[in-house]
Amino acid sequence: MPHVTEPRPGRPEATGQPPHPATVLDDVVHQRVRLGVLTVLSEAHECRFATLRDELGLTDGNLNRHLRILEKAGLLQVSKGYEGRRPVTWLRLTRGGRAALRAEVAALEELVSRIRAAALDPPEGED
Amino acid sequence: MDRGAAGEAAETLAALEQLRKRTHRRAHGGAWLPALGVAVLLLASVALYRYPLSQTNSIDADYPFWAGLPDEQVSPVASYIFWFVGTPLLFAGMALWYSWRARRHGVRAAWQPVVATGVGVLLLLAVLAAVPTGPLPDMLINREGPHWGGLLTPLLPLAAAVVVLGRVERSRGLVTAGVWIALLTAWLCTTFPLGHLPGWFSRMTGGTDLGGHLSLRPGHYLVLMALPLLVVAVVNLAAARRAARD
Repeated sequence: MPHVTEPRPGRPEATGQPPHPATVLDDVVHQRVRLGVLTVLSEAHECRFATLRDELGLTDGNLNRHLRILEKAGLLQVSKGYEGRRPVTWLRLTRGGRAALRAEVAALEELVSRIRAAALDPPEGED
Repeated sequence: MDRGAAGEAAETLAALEQLRKRTHRRAHGGAWLPALGVAVLLLASVALYRYPLSQTNSIDADYPFWAGLPDEQVSPVASYIFWFVGTPLLFAGMALWYSWRARRHGVRAAWQPVVATGVGVLLLLAVLAAVPTGPLPDMLINREGPHWGGLLTPLLPLAAAVVVLGRVERSRGLVTAGVWIALLTAWLCTTFPLGHLPGWFSRMTGGTDLGGHLSLRPGHYLVLMALPLLVVAVVNLAAARRAARD
């Protein structure tokens, strides 16, 4: 399951303020390749390993490493089968994976809008 | 967090959006063929009516409406065979299409809902087939409606299949097309004769309590039903071709 950050004393959520979006970012998901994997799988019911590898421009080993992390976190399912005599690996996003991606994208959007809003505000004491 | 971090996050979001769009085109770029298939089946069913486009003074409609709409059929048996052979053939064609696309593009469409819908359509048609045919019941000859018995038509299962296909293909156009077919079918099959407008509707448009009548024939209505599907098919095919060129 995606990593969940517990509120701690002194942190914004403990003081009643909404948490800073950066604290909501999930360590498992917040990685360029893994975000790419989840994004591709969110649009397809199932995607072939080789297709995903080519789409993201990775090597077999590199993609495998990231897939293992995501599978261990319960964010995707791996199934193996055959197309004719050729073995094929199919990947599918789980419900948790879809939710994790949605949360990650929402946190990133919130982060961008907060920082942009702060950049537009004049510094204190300056009119 | 500084402006650099915001820029990085914005770049990541933009890259993800590009990747998502590219995958969407690859995964759902084949929706045009099933949409076209259903449209062709609807349009081909025009041949089941004795007077598909021309006006006639009287009609001799058999019930249930195996042709689809409540109008005179060339042969109820031919209509029955048309839908019971045509619908499975359509779903078999869809299955082959999605299977070919999965091999070619490395992305599978959601097979289970499509198959479940196909089987569901067949089961519904089988239930409809158990209903004996005969002349129009008196209740349908009476102009007071709606006549719920008219909903025993092979068009409604097809409409349901299009809605599910739209969900699977994440196409609002297909969902809308399915709902459109269902609404048009529900109106046409629960009022008699074909195209009858109820009194309340007639009053709203400045007519009398007796209601009105649209002078359209089954052929016209079937073209209206198939039109959104054809639009979806053309738009989807154009997008797929554009994506293939890029």
